[in-house]
Amino acid sequence: MTRLAIALALACLLASHAAAQGPRIEPPAGGLVGPTLGGPVDSSVPPSVPSQSTTPELVVDLSRPRVSITSAFQGESILLFGMFDPPGEIVVVVAGPPGRETVLRKQRFLGLWLNIGRQAFDDVPAYYAIAASQPLQRLLARSAGGEILSLEDRLSSVRSVGQREHQELTKFRLGLVEVKRQEGLYPPAIGQVTIQAHRLFRVELPFPSRLPEGVYDVRTYLLRDGKIVAAVSRPLPVGKVGFNAQLASWATHHGPLYGLGAIVLALMAGWIGGAIMRRL
Amino acid sequence: MNVFVLLGLGAAAGLLAGMFGVGGGFLATPLLIFVGIPPTVAVASQANQVIANSVSSLQVQWRRGNVDLRMGLVLLLGGMVGSTAGVSLFTYLKRIGQIDFVIAVLYVVMLSTIGVLMLFESLRTYLRRRRNPEAPRGKLHTHYLVHRLPLKLRFYKSKLYISALLPLGIGFAIGVLSAILGVGGGFVLVPAMIYILGMPTAVVIGTSNFQILFVAANVTFLQAATNGTVDIVLAMLLILGGVVGAPIGSRLAAKLPGVVLRGLMAILILTVASELLTELLRTPSSFYSLGSREVLP
Repeated sequence: MTRLAIALALACLLASHAAAQGPRIEPPAGGLVGPTLGGPVDSSVPPSVPSQSTTPELVVDLSRPRVSITSAFQGESILLFGMFDPPGEIVVVVAGPPGRETVLRKQRFLGLWLNIGRQAFDDVPAYYAIAASQPLQRLLARSAGGEILSLEDRLSSVRSVGQREHQELTKFRLGLVEVKRQEGLYPPAIGQVTIQAHRLFRVELPFPSRLPEGVYDVRTYLLRDGKIVAAVSRPLPVGKVGFNAQLASWATHHGPLYGLGAIVLALMAGWIGGAIMRRL
Repeated sequence: MNVFVLLGLGAAAGLLAGMFGVGGGFLATPLLIFVGIPPTVAVASQANQVIANSVSSLQVQWRRGNVDLRMGLVLLLGGMVGSTAGVSLFTYLKRIGQIDFVIAVLYVVMLSTIGVLMLFESLRTYLRRRRNPEAPRGKLHTHYLVHRLPLKLRFYKSKLYISALLPLGIGFAIGVLSAILGVGGGFVLVPAMIYILGMPTAVVIGTSNFQILFVAANVTFLQAATNGTVDIVLAMLLILGGVVGAPIGSRLAAKLPGVVLRGLMAILILTVASELLTELLRTPSSFYSLGSREVLP
């Protein structure tokens, strides 16, 4: 089903592109021209990026518009695909919402392991993944703008809260990456962006089961000679849905009410359960 | 988390509860931690489960008139203050990132103490019975320093005239324990009522359940309101498992002599305690972990 949808979407993309390139035919009003599929052009991209012409050089879409966390959520893979005007290379950066993370460090105390050190960092992305159609190092070394950041570069800019020796800070920062890696939130290498027929590209974005909620930013760049010539940003909402979402929202926004509900439910369950079991 | 694992866990805890006549919470919480539930969530949801457990027991005890209401209210007063203080302490420990450690250490201390005491007691009883089947029973009532404390109250149903400070203090301690460990505390409260207060055994179970019910409700409410650590779904699974497991446990228990039963229980408790202790002593695979994440507006 998903495959079919992707195939159809790709076909549409190709068709619209061909129409734009071929002999001038008036496009139908509200037709499937690039920008509709490619999503809104990101306004936060710095002015170094050239404004998009009527024929977009880069169109991007996702196989799903959002990541829905149900109670049975085991992680999900989303396909990012699109098309660009050759030549060029594609870089995809997915960043979760930034927040404050507190890193705890275990140390031995009287033979027991307990959290002794702690360090908070601000502006830490909940999730961070980067993929490219060529080895990243080479692409990033040539891109002078510094707009695209590898995970290491991105994290070197997080702000530590409070004072600490530089060497210690680095250890905590590495600890942060280690934990995030284990949780699958900083996938070290998401599959390479594959390019087909010189103009179609696709990459799988892996999301683990314990995924922080929020609006993720999926940004696709088209690079030519180390320069960003086009960029498309797509918001990807990640959130709980259904009964689970309702419960979680009550628990966080209406704590006292949730507590009363829990008490009443337990009272009823205990009362009824006890009564039934004594009959048997 | 797999629903069936949790249901099975609830049933196992219920089975043990039915077999040994205790709440089962002090074994269920470590088991929940072993299967990967965050300790804070395990404790708070367990408190929610305790409500169901004690209400179904209280149902019977109340009808039989086995609740010393006056004593229960005095214990409860202490329990309310204790559990409120306990949840505040819990919140503070959670904020400084030490709550998981404190929960584990307290469980190790508590379980190993109870386990050792039970093991010795059942061994002694077993040996004494073998030597002398008609062993004389000890004095029913002893008078200690305890009886000289002020604020004496008369508890008609328990046939006691003692200082109210004593049940207040016991109630307070149980309240703190309940808040931090998520247990009802019956396994501490019942011996305390018998040996320290000198209450007649008949009213002990009913009265302790009366206190536990309201203290557990207070803990559930405060945990949900301040820490958001109560998981209703988890609690309901535990309750459901317990409802099924408990009667099977009590039927099994009827087939085994009491001494053997207590000996088995002691071994089980000590196993859980040593497992928790190993977790604390073992060099962790990762030295770093993350506290709760805050998204700034």
